Amino acid sequence: MKRLMAPIMSEFVSEFVFATAQYESGDWDSAPLLPANIIDTIARYTEINVAPTGVIVPLSDERMLRYPLLYLTGHLPVRFSDAERRNVRRFVARGGLLFVDDHNHDVDGTFHRTATEEIARTVAPLADLPNDHPLYSAFFKFEGPPTTSHELNGWGDNLVHKHLLAVEHAGRIGVLYSSKDYSSEWNYHPDSKRFMSVDNTRFAVNLVVYALTA
Amino acid sequence: MPSPRSRFESACRIGAFALLGWLLGGSFIGSTVRRVEHVQACDKNLSPCDKNLSARLAELSRTSEAVAIHLDATSAPAPWATDWLAALAHADVAAAHSVSWSGAPAAVAMSVQPVPDPRRGARIDIAAPTGARVRLRDDASDIDSAQVMDLGVTLTTPLVVGALRADVGGQSVIANTHDTSSIRGVLVVGAAGWEGKFIVSALEERGWRVVTRFVVAPGADVTGGGAAPLDTNRFAAVIAIDSTAQAMSGAIERFVRSGGGLVLVGPAANARAFSELAAGSAGVRTRPRVQANDTIRLGTTGFYPVARLRPGALALERRGDAIVVAARRVRAGRVMQIGYDDTWRWRMAGEAGSEEAHREWWSRVLRSVAYAPVSMSNALDVGESAPLAYLTDRLGAPRPAPPARRGTDPRIIITLIMVLLLMEWGSLRLRGLR
Repeated sequence: MKRLMAPIMSEFVSEFVFATAQYESGDWDSAPLLPANIIDTIARYTEINVAPTGVIVPLSDERMLRYPLLYLTGHLPVRFSDAERRNVRRFVARGGLLFVDDHNHDVDGTFHRTATEEIARTVAPLADLPNDHPLYSAFFKFEGPPTTSHELNGWGDNLVHKHLLAVEHAGRIGVLYSSKDYSSEWNYHPDSKRFMSVDNTRFAVNLVVYALTA
Repeated sequence: MPSPRSRFESACRIGAFALLGWLLGGSFIGSTVRRVEHVQACDKNLSPCDKNLSARLAELSRTSEAVAIHLDATSAPAPWATDWLAALAHADVAAAHSVSWSGAPAAVAMSVQPVPDPRRGARIDIAAPTGARVRLRDDASDIDSAQVMDLGVTLTTPLVVGALRADVGGQSVIANTHDTSSIRGVLVVGAAGWEGKFIVSALEERGWRVVTRFVVAPGADVTGGGAAPLDTNRFAAVIAIDSTAQAMSGAIERFVRSGGGLVLVGPAANARAFSELAAGSAGVRTRPRVQANDTIRLGTTGFYPVARLRPGALALERRGDAIVVAARRVRAGRVMQIGYDDTWRWRMAGEAGSEEAHREWWSRVLRSVAYAPVSMSNALDVGESAPLAYLTDRLGAPRPAPPARRGTDPRIIITLIMVLLLMEWGSLRLRGLR
């Protein structure tokens, strides 16, 4: 993964670049293997013109607006700076999709409480996303958010979270919030997929396809 | 040999009989040279002038003699006057009046078309001489004013109340605004990507009904907005994001030839299936002209220039020497080729207001090609909206007034006959003859 300061030309040749959001308050880089794994999944299942490497995008930098799908995760408290808040607000208003995943996978953890508060303050309060939302049928068919092996491992709240949360803007998801801990579930080297009977990153395809087509 | 006096007497008699014959012949056959009556066209805003013209035409309508009516037109007359004059040319009198006109009134015309856009509005085109000042108003208020810089003025207004009136150089033209167009859907096809997504966003935010078909993987298309056959009954236009749209090329070509609009984005014009429809071919993509910290603007991240413009195609936008937007007609449809293939970057990462600008830009593109049949709720009144064209249509091209008839009073002829006969009789009597 490269920093945003990569040569400008490469930014404008690939249609889809997986971007990880960097924010000042927390451990934004807690799932370092996830981007490469998701890029591999997108290339494996679709013809989407995806950049082979992702980028890290500071939320305080206006250039975060060049990446309409942003992935944000962490374990620690989230509190946006004024610049981050301003940019996130513009990002959602212009049609971007911010995917926030709680790396702690618990409903009362530090990340969850602070991140949901910050999203409510910056954009709007989160609400349950119905399990028949087009997100779940954008490519693969799901009955709702796929469960992860981390939800019931005793480190979080030991709950299966029935819904994802979302803020919708102009009929589309502007912020998607997950307590499922996909950051742990998908944080492995792409080559390890061959040991799995079912690829657990398939939901990421739905997420990207939804972001690109809805 | 007859004496000179005898010749003089014969000449007087012959002259008298010739005059008598001419008088009688004129009574039976009639003269082909008519009396010329001049009428004056006047500005329709001047009601006293209108009344005078009306009275004059009424007087001419009542006359039983066929006259040559000539209109001196410093400005185009009101349609009622043109109609009246045309009717006099076909009047059921012993011989129809002849009607002609001359003058050089300013050629002014106005056309109002509903904008094929969910927000409606009207596009107003006014043809007027260069430099003329145009004042536009409707039944509610003044709308705008402008000076004609070239051949005319084009204005777009979101709302028109009643009839539109344009005052240009002392003339007024009026156009009805009761026409409506039904707005159909838009089909966006291509590979899944940000450009397609944000075009759809812009159009939906504007109020268009958008149907999407994005290719994600072989045999896996993501559709939205419901499936429907591609025809002009359901769709106003198709936007082809890239060459993957050529899977529908047959349907798209039929659609365009029957009146539908087509927008070819970026490299889509290079698809073989669209080569007969495109305004040109898509050249090599230009390099981005933006630095790492620059704000992104339309076109600064590169574009596909339109190369080898086809005959009949029109370049609409240029950047330097390159054509970025071009358009052409294909049978009843319109095709626009756009070199920009990542306008989404402008919307997302542009300066403040770029989202609205992106939306407005795509709305303009779409309404330039959209199929939007106009249903006429009122007959178009050409006489009001293009009075000079109407005058020419009804009375023919301008021509000089016919020469005025030098009318001779019959009493003078009779007097002349009597003088000639008296001179002959006097001459005979003086010679002692009877």
